[in-house]
Amino acid sequence: MVPFELVVPRTVEEAMAALRTTGSGSASVLAGGTDLLNDLDDQRLSPTRVVSLRRLPWRTLDWTGPQLTVGSTLPLRALEQDPEVARRFPGLVQAVRAVGSVALRHQATLGGNVVRSAPASDLVPVLLSLDAEVDLVGPKGDRRVPVDRFVRSSRRVDLAPGELVRSVRLPEARPSSYLWQRVRPANDISQVAVALAFSPAGRTWRVAVGGVSPRPVLLAEPARLLGSGAPDPAAVREAARRAGEEAPFKTDRRASEEYRRRVVRALLARAVASVVDAPEFPR
Amino acid sequence: MTTPAAPIRPDGEVKLHGAALYGTDLDVPGMLWGALVPSPVAHGTIRSVDLSSARALPGVVAVGPDDLDRLLPPGPRDEERPLFPRGEVVYHQQPVAAVAAPTAAEAVRAAARVRVLIDPLPVVSDLESIFPDWPGPEAATSPHVAAHVHARHGDVDAEFRRADRLVREVYRTASVHQVALEPHACLAEVTDGRWFVRSSTQTPFGIREDLAALLGIPESSVVVEGTWVGGGFGGKGAPLLEPYALLLARASARPVRIALGYRDEFRLARTTLPTVVRMETAVTGGRIRARRVRLLLDVGTSLPGRDFATGYSIGFLLGPYATATFDIEGYAVRTNKPPFGPHRAPLAPQCAFVVESHLDHVAREVGEDPEEFRARHLWTEGDTTPLGQTVGPFGLGAAFARARRTAERWRREAPPGHGVGVGVGFWSTSTGAGGEVRLRLTPSGVVVEQGEREIGSGSVLAGLPAVAARSLGPPRERVRVEYLDTSTAPFDSGVYGSRTVGALGRAIDEAAVDLRARLGERLGGAGPVTFRAVGDRLLARTGGRELSVAELLTPEERAAGGLVVGGRHFGRPGAVDERRVVDGTFYAYRDFTGTAHVAEVSVDRETGSVRVERYAAFHDVGVVVDPASARAQVEGGVAMGLGTALTEEAIWSDDGELENAGLKDYRIPTLGEVPPVEVEFLEGYLGAGPYGAKGLGEPPMIPVPAAVALAVREACGAHATELPLSAERVARALKLL
Repeated sequence: MVPFELVVPRTVEEAMAALRTTGSGSASVLAGGTDLLNDLDDQRLSPTRVVSLRRLPWRTLDWTGPQLTVGSTLPLRALEQDPEVARRFPGLVQAVRAVGSVALRHQATLGGNVVRSAPASDLVPVLLSLDAEVDLVGPKGDRRVPVDRFVRSSRRVDLAPGELVRSVRLPEARPSSYLWQRVRPANDISQVAVALAFSPAGRTWRVAVGGVSPRPVLLAEPARLLGSGAPDPAAVREAARRAGEEAPFKTDRRASEEYRRRVVRALLARAVASVVDAPEFPR
Repeated sequence: MTTPAAPIRPDGEVKLHGAALYGTDLDVPGMLWGALVPSPVAHGTIRSVDLSSARALPGVVAVGPDDLDRLLPPGPRDEERPLFPRGEVVYHQQPVAAVAAPTAAEAVRAAARVRVLIDPLPVVSDLESIFPDWPGPEAATSPHVAAHVHARHGDVDAEFRRADRLVREVYRTASVHQVALEPHACLAEVTDGRWFVRSSTQTPFGIREDLAALLGIPESSVVVEGTWVGGGFGGKGAPLLEPYALLLARASARPVRIALGYRDEFRLARTTLPTVVRMETAVTGGRIRARRVRLLLDVGTSLPGRDFATGYSIGFLLGPYATATFDIEGYAVRTNKPPFGPHRAPLAPQCAFVVESHLDHVAREVGEDPEEFRARHLWTEGDTTPLGQTVGPFGLGAAFARARRTAERWRREAPPGHGVGVGVGFWSTSTGAGGEVRLRLTPSGVVVEQGEREIGSGSVLAGLPAVAARSLGPPRERVRVEYLDTSTAPFDSGVYGSRTVGALGRAIDEAAVDLRARLGERLGGAGPVTFRAVGDRLLARTGGRELSVAELLTPEERAAGGLVVGGRHFGRPGAVDERRVVDGTFYAYRDFTGTAHVAEVSVDRETGSVRVERYAAFHDVGVVVDPASARAQVEGGVAMGLGTALTEEAIWSDDGELENAGLKDYRIPTLGEVPPVEVEFLEGYLGAGPYGAKGLGEPPMIPVPAAVALAVREACGAHATELPLSAERVARALKLL
């Protein structure tokens, strides 16, 4: 780790100023730090300044009707322990529980996970399936961007210089499920993951996969094949088969491409069963 | 006489309070921080190593190959193991120079300033790329062959021709790392010709000997003091950082500390490397008639002839099953990886996995009940092993029978989709390596003076006092272990090989017999001497006569801190029937100990995921010396074995770079993957340790991958022939891919 200056602003304005006035140096933004610190430790990043968001008033959970707005620095542990979130967004809570360990989730944040945008992120797929949006604040004003557009590639997001993610907005409560496959069940990175959600308003399915390269993606055709309600077994099989074909899997040291294609079929079929069987699923 | 009750963890309090200083805690005033300069490639010709930019930094000391003659005494050094390579680098991150600086960050910066120019050479990373088939005559002169062993007996070809059935299989096992939580660390000081190093090590005396050879200094000038060891598992039995720390301390005239970061711990520490095993078994009339076994063992850049692993480990592929006719051959193959190093029961778990999986498969192929088939062939006391050793008291058959009864019960209780497997293994306790202790009887208690450190197993801190209390007789809480450095401790060969309680326990027992005899004479009574504690005094009694120890000591003894009596133990050497050896050196096993484990697993038939649901372990231990630490050894060994069985695998790229250095992608089990372990000890098959105790450090690890693999096969039919049994490998065995 290369030494750096740590700045802990109390207001958004101070934070943006801290990001602006780095001169010839560079700045990194610190939310929970569970991912950033690896990069600092390995010197993949060597910023001259680290701006911590921990004193900003963004550790929030706000309901507006059916909409949920999660402050970007709210620890994941708070999110998973909220019973209302668990009831309305079961897939989100399953995904949060898949992140690291309890100790790590006391530290890690939703905003950090989205901004760091790892290909194996457990949270980006479920945010895609929920049609989540990120609310940004920046020197040129506020913006709202769908997660699907915000996450561009591995470790690359649509964030202009000086911009920060203030919150993540979930527009609609959805019966949903998140299933993963790993080398080790606990405290590991997913080889393959499936996020599935059903939109009661639009009566449409969303299927997203993780463990793909270069970033988690929505799969349109499998979602379409699932229809507009509880699908029959043949439709599930066909959607699962298509997901296995369509997902942009690659071979890496965690799993082979063919294993991922095989497993995603099983996971998608199981996810459909769990969503359809839930009492919240609209009949 | 029974073993007195003991605290569950005598090291618990000092560790929980943070008072135990590990190697990574070493810190003294004026200390410099050392760092190694790594080779950026796994194989290449060194053009130059330029230290000038690093040396230009304030407070930085840098040493390279050109500095050795200046810093070290004239005279021979171990030329085969130069501290820094001069011509070729042979593995990724091999140290080519070393630096020291006032802070850790400055040391890292200084190391980065060293300009290393290397012309890359082709990298040999994969064992099987060298010998895609079994090595032919070319192997005799191949630079890739570090060792060759071959033994046989009887006419294998003839038996193979006559056999009812011949079963051939190929198995592969992955490299596993010890994953001690504390990485390697040491602190060196060189003053007045005294080369002093404090180190987190399993073998202070072994390191002293190696350092003397590596640095070309007399052994008497080297002093090694052990620290608390945060886990060893075989990985801390040879010098790694110590020679560099001493060299930097000599160059800087300051204390120098080096500690590896955790990723470098994976890259540089010596581990168990990959193997390929070919098994061929001929069966006639339900009996194994002949076996042909072929082992290719990756030994990285181990020196030719210096690798113990092949001749040691290959014997595990022959047992513990009777085979009159056999042909076994192994090659140690050099690749561009760090040298091979021992990992708890070096290769024995891998070998047991191969033997058990193969014989289970053979039995199925010939239509026999697999467990019955194996039970029929097990070694029993009095048998002669294929390598010509006589099996002594051996509880393996009894352990297997107990394990099978448990397995039968679990099979009745198991839900559909579960499978139960029984795996066995054997071990040879190496009490043969020498060891000495001193017992010091003081007015208030007994001190065991010795040179080993507690490495976390309890063998030193729980095992040795248990023996002292039992053999001599004082209350256990009046026995204290004293750690001495190599300049003052009696010699011992190290905490490894499941030998500590066996060898040092026998030495303590010998000293205790001597001490009791002397006290008996001084008390003048007849019969055995007994002790009791009153206040802070220790009283000794025999035949109705009781005196305080203070009164029994002579004035000279009281002035010298007590009555000191030494004890030593050198085990019986084993022997191999040399008429059966064609080439190389085989290790002579002795003091056999056996173990059988039962695993119940569930397997996800769509993903191949394996979950271990229940686990039981049955161990032939001779005699249990300390119940709490014996049990803990088994639980820990099973947890470690589950890693080797299911998830642990070091992966090297074609360029010879370790791809998963660190705990993110090298996965040891968490508590979530380790079920409660039922432990049962079978006593009475006596071994070479005190009271007939046998070693228990390594055996608990040995049958784990075998038991899990057989359980997986029973659960879903998947016959996986590679370790670890990752979900993807099980999925392939299930033909899902």
